[in-house]
Amino acid sequence: MLGRLKRWQVALCTLAAVLTVTISNCAQQPSTTTEGAPTTSSPTANASTLVFGSGGDPASLEPGNIEDGNSIYVQHQIYDRLIDYKPGTTELEPALATEWEASDDGLTWTFKLREGVKFHDGTDFNAEAVRVNVNRWWDPADRLGFRDAGKNYAIWEGLFGGYKGSEESTLQSINVVDDTTIEFTLKEPFAAFPAAIASGYFGIASPTAIEQAGADYGTASVPAIGTGPYKFVEWRIGDRVVLERNPDYWKDGFPKTDQLVMRFIKEPSARLAELRAGSIDFTVDIAPDQLNELQSDSNLQEVRRPPFNVGYLALNTSYEPLANKEVRQAIAMAINRKGIVDSFWSGLASSDSHFTPPSMDKYQDSSFLDYEYNPERAKQMLAEAGYPDGFPLELWYMPVSRPYYPTPKPIAEAFAADLGAVGINVTLNTKDWAAYLADRLKEPGYQAFMLGWTGDYGDPDNFLYYHFGVGGTTDIGGWRNEEVFKLLEDARKETDDAKRVELYQQAEKIIHDEAVRIPVVHSEPLNAQRSNISDWVPSPLGSESFETVTKS
Amino acid sequence: MLRYIAKRLLDLIPVILGITLLVFLFLQLIPGDPAIVLLGQRATPAQVEALREQLGLNQPLPLQYLAFLGKLLRLDLGRSIISGIPITQEIATRWPATFELSVAAMIVAMLLGVPAGIIAAVRKNGWIDNLTMSTSLLGVSMPVYWLGLLLIYLFAVNLRWLPPSGRLSIGGTFQPITGFYLLDSLLQFNLAAFGDVVAHLILPAITVGTIPLAIIARITRSAMLEVLSQDYIRTARAKGLLERWVILKHALKNALLPVVTIIGLQFGTLLSGAILTETIFSWPGIGSWIYEGILARDYPVVQGGVVFVAIVFVLINLLVDISYAFLDPRIQFK
Repeated sequence: MLGRLKRWQVALCTLAAVLTVTISNCAQQPSTTTEGAPTTSSPTANASTLVFGSGGDPASLEPGNIEDGNSIYVQHQIYDRLIDYKPGTTELEPALATEWEASDDGLTWTFKLREGVKFHDGTDFNAEAVRVNVNRWWDPADRLGFRDAGKNYAIWEGLFGGYKGSEESTLQSINVVDDTTIEFTLKEPFAAFPAAIASGYFGIASPTAIEQAGADYGTASVPAIGTGPYKFVEWRIGDRVVLERNPDYWKDGFPKTDQLVMRFIKEPSARLAELRAGSIDFTVDIAPDQLNELQSDSNLQEVRRPPFNVGYLALNTSYEPLANKEVRQAIAMAINRKGIVDSFWSGLASSDSHFTPPSMDKYQDSSFLDYEYNPERAKQMLAEAGYPDGFPLELWYMPVSRPYYPTPKPIAEAFAADLGAVGINVTLNTKDWAAYLADRLKEPGYQAFMLGWTGDYGDPDNFLYYHFGVGGTTDIGGWRNEEVFKLLEDARKETDDAKRVELYQQAEKIIHDEAVRIPVVHSEPLNAQRSNISDWVPSPLGSESFETVTKS
Repeated sequence: MLRYIAKRLLDLIPVILGITLLVFLFLQLIPGDPAIVLLGQRATPAQVEALREQLGLNQPLPLQYLAFLGKLLRLDLGRSIISGIPITQEIATRWPATFELSVAAMIVAMLLGVPAGIIAAVRKNGWIDNLTMSTSLLGVSMPVYWLGLLLIYLFAVNLRWLPPSGRLSIGGTFQPITGFYLLDSLLQFNLAAFGDVVAHLILPAITVGTIPLAIIARITRSAMLEVLSQDYIRTARAKGLLERWVILKHALKNALLPVVTIIGLQFGTLLSGAILTETIFSWPGIGSWIYEGILARDYPVVQGGVVFVAIVFVLINLLVDISYAFLDPRIQFK
């Protein structure tokens, strides 16, 4: 027994020794320098390795089966899409497809594909590869869809109405014409089809790789294979994704760096701290209230993403006072939206009369003015509408921070204060985020609530149809406006762009007048880079390829 | 001895059953489900229903639970609903991170806690004793995440002595082999990476180690006081032995028994993944994974994670009990 005890003591001593080594190792680390250089003795990123601070693990590296920003960021580097967006804009530009056009009736979209492109595993990119990818998303019976393993491709249903065989499916059939031509036939015209297929969800993956990996495709254990600027090296769960330059990339001279490391750092404040320490080169989604800290560090630069979202206040028309349009307009007038935006977003947001973000100005009618902030007039309107003493209102605010409402509760309190001033007595409510989203759709819904929307693709359809079109108004008491319904349907089907602009402008006027979802804010997500990083152009759509980013 | 171990392992079964049932029921109590989380704002009630059907969430609860148990018997914990990654693979990847952090935290706690407890006992009611005891009270009652945030702010953001998050700053040439980065970096004779790994460990280890440190110090002190009042100590002193010798040779050996118990229990707790600390430090371990699983209502992740953690906890307890036999010859296993 004694001997055993001794052995145990020896173990303790060993531990002590290890710790001593540990401590001495730390003591040797160089202390901080005034330039804010990295202080750990870790190998720092060299010029040909770019380190990006992402908000967390991707949910999956499988295209068409994700919705979260963290996944899209990684996928944007590995995969190409048929169509891309011009850097920093919502305008389309060729990618794997060199040209695309609709038939005269708007029902068939024909895509001409780029020749000579290969996937990272050597598989040829061609029309059949596109068909394989799209069919997995669309066809529940597809052999390569592996739906029995829990895959669902929900985003396809979200953007294209439904899956193969369902009434709501926008897509009717896919037809491989030849190696470089593919046709998509729709049930009814959908003018935003190219814009939707260009969204970051729909990268094109190697059919060979999908075949080989089976249900595991998209997880960390198998390589993700695309045609994009960077090739997959490894995904260390919870820590990082490592990518390397694709030497055969079809865009000459890109990417600008040999290696791209994407580290997962969940806390916005930690991302900024890592950036200041120099252990990452650039990062996204820094909290607006850290703008000062960012600006005070001369080694850092803020990089703003053009706004592509809307934070709104929804008014449920099934609640009696809100069924009256004048009452809704009075509420829009009673709230000092500009003042609230100025105080809560540190200047990283704007407020205007449009539900669509400023980057959609091509489709906006600039002639109608924003709701004026006029509590006196609002009171008068309430009295005229039969509510001289106001009425009680339950206002729901989200329990989580979103880009369009970084601090929902204090913002809700500001709404409540403004509404109280005109006699509307507000009670504030909230509940768990998942339940918040689900319960707003259950009869009768919330009387009034805060929510927002970040666009999927660069077309007003993606903003307006979901919120004011047929089937999109369950959460505001099934508000119906036949004229708006028709305008949005027509604009969806119209192939002539000038006519679409006209239709959307008309719809927006009515929407503004109806005041069922009052647009409060379009925020600019705040990103940052170290000063030796250049040519990073954040896309309004929320993710972009890092092929242009250079490090000096 | 072997029979004792076998019996203890059999005792695991009702424990695991109870835990899985509790976790299962708790998850059902949280509003919202994975279908809603997956579909987000775009979801129409019809789409949510269709997805629930596909995920088997519209089955009666008892059936869902039995299906989970049936898989568990085949050692199949299923796949994450959100990522599609098999749970066993997730655990295998994340467990080393949690283990490494727990060991580091335990080393901090033991090397500071045991000596502090001994000194406090020997100098009872002296200033060291009072300082140790009041500090440990503070340590036990301080919210861990708050301490973590404080440390990050002070040492990472302001002083910039240590990295704020993660396990490794930049890969360079470093490639994990076992997933235990300290070991991996030494195996590759990569001292730069080793230093980087250590630097990343310090703050989270202090954060996680604070509570065990305080508990160990208190237990050591009271055990030591208990032993020092025994007759045989008086005898040893009467024989004229050096005081240091009396304490280290005669008293410490017997006083350490309850300390070993508490170290074992605390270690078991740490290995279950410090949920908040791991989340704050973006530490890719079991704790932050379960946390995200709860947020996303990823039932298989939470179920599988908790089952794994429970097994680890029970096994550590078993090890502690077995180690008694080696520490105290009077203990016999029946």
